[in-house]
Amino acid sequence: MNRFGRSRASVVKAAKTVKEGPVGAVQSTVRFSERIESWWRNHRSNARESLLRLTVEPVQSLMTILVIAIAMALPAALIVAVSSLQQLSGNWQNSARISVFMHVDAAPDVVQRLQDTVRAMPQIEQVTYISPQAALEEFQLASGFGEALSLLGTNPLPAVLLLSPRADLINDISGLSALVDDLEQISGIDGVQLDMQWLQRMQHILEMGQRVVILVGFTLALGVLLVVGNTIRLAIESRRSEILVVKLVGGTNAFVRRPFLYTGLWYGLFGGMVAWAGVVLGGFWLASTVAVLANLYQSDFALVGLDFRGLLVMMILGGTLGLLGAALAVGRHIARIEP
Amino acid sequence: MIRFDNVSKRYEGGFEALKGVNLAMDAGEMAFLTGHSGAGKSTLLKLIMLMERPSRGQLLINGKNLSRLHRSQIAYYRRHLGVVFQDHQLLFDRSVFDNIALPLLVSGYQQRDIGRRVRAALDKVGLLNKEKSNPMQLSGGEQQRVGIARAVVHKPRILLADEPTGNLDPQLSAEIMALFRDFCGVGVTVLIATHDIDLVGRMGERVVTLNNGVLTTEPQ
Repeated sequence: MNRFGRSRASVVKAAKTVKEGPVGAVQSTVRFSERIESWWRNHRSNARESLLRLTVEPVQSLMTILVIAIAMALPAALIVAVSSLQQLSGNWQNSARISVFMHVDAAPDVVQRLQDTVRAMPQIEQVTYISPQAALEEFQLASGFGEALSLLGTNPLPAVLLLSPRADLINDISGLSALVDDLEQISGIDGVQLDMQWLQRMQHILEMGQRVVILVGFTLALGVLLVVGNTIRLAIESRRSEILVVKLVGGTNAFVRRPFLYTGLWYGLFGGMVAWAGVVLGGFWLASTVAVLANLYQSDFALVGLDFRGLLVMMILGGTLGLLGAALAVGRHIARIEP
Repeated sequence: MIRFDNVSKRYEGGFEALKGVNLAMDAGEMAFLTGHSGAGKSTLLKLIMLMERPSRGQLLINGKNLSRLHRSQIAYYRRHLGVVFQDHQLLFDRSVFDNIALPLLVSGYQQRDIGRRVRAALDKVGLLNKEKSNPMQLSGGEQQRVGIARAVVHKPRILLADEPTGNLDPQLSAEIMALFRDFCGVGVTVLIATHDIDLVGRMGERVVTLNNGVLTTEPQ
């Protein structure tokens, strides 16, 4: 054995084996199973090292992560807002009601007869009777005009029937209009109100909102790709000499690419997490105000928040974008660095 | 092991660095490549490393025609070579150990193998106590020896050196040359480009000289 830890005979033997084997093939000293294992090990160590590398320049890493987070939080917040409103409009649609106002001076027995007539109509699912007295009390409570109303002496409010149309009629605009016409024909009824038009408008606004979300989402996803791509490009430039040496000692392009891809992946994952946290915190901050507002509108409306599934989605999205951005940069720049 | 058949290299712009070079080296042979600066020494080494491709002629390494080697195979081919650079090309963001481990890492060696082989290489160049140092803290001669350890750690069949003693004093240069001779002694083909004629003379090995891109092999 010489000091290099290898006997002369084995070197000669190795030299012979190589002479027979093709140049450029896998080196005979590394078995296939070892290569697979080392490939895994390499991935693990790359993941760990590129994570540690983020902490070498924490401010710059944090800024990149924040930019990604902002770009992801904006569409996420819009999605939260739109789906909250959608839930709201859904609630209203399910309880689409027709308000039937009686004449103010209609006698109680007339009101009772009208109520029976309406109940008998096949298109009507449910009828709720609100007496003038109950209407007044509710109005006093909710409107703050209690004082002024008490000055009037008499109750100016009519009796009201709240009708819930049959479920299959709810989305049938012409059917509902026909129903309203029918109700208006009945004597003793002063007016019929169907608040469908603004619901329809809201539906369209929400549809537009969804499209805006998609548009904003795509634009900002592109932004994330470019931000990650540019950051990775700078990282590649700053490690140029290392890349050259690695290529000179036989590192494949895949080997050189790997740490940068992991860096991109980490940026994306952290960006997604921070974006999720931002939206959740923003939701908490808004929740109390929204609750007060919803209470004023006598609604049980609440923001649809992002749960842990949302976190998973944001991390997957962020990770994918980060990896893609890194792949774009790596594909363009690493092949160009040749010794 | 190394065979140049009428190899020429013309760079873009028309400069002809090598003109019809014929050269053959057996396994376990050692040779010095000399010549004035700009004579084509570096170009010849770069052709073997596949940093450049010949414009004409054939280059056979280990019996394999390099012109038939696909781009994707270059990395694997280079794992059979060990290269010592004049500016040693060490990475200052990691320890001596990690610098030397690099060729093993890219080839996918086991962790325990890496430790064993790196220490064997460090022992060979007499720097066993420096494995945790940063190359920046080492002297020029020590840095060059780290470069040599990195070049031989994966036991290449061919060892190339481009002006390995360029910045070193005569005694250090002699020590380094003695190291190269040891590798040659265990069957490695060693080709050293240098302009240090005195040292080459003292070594008594084969000398090939390039003159304006033309190779002249001097009698041994």
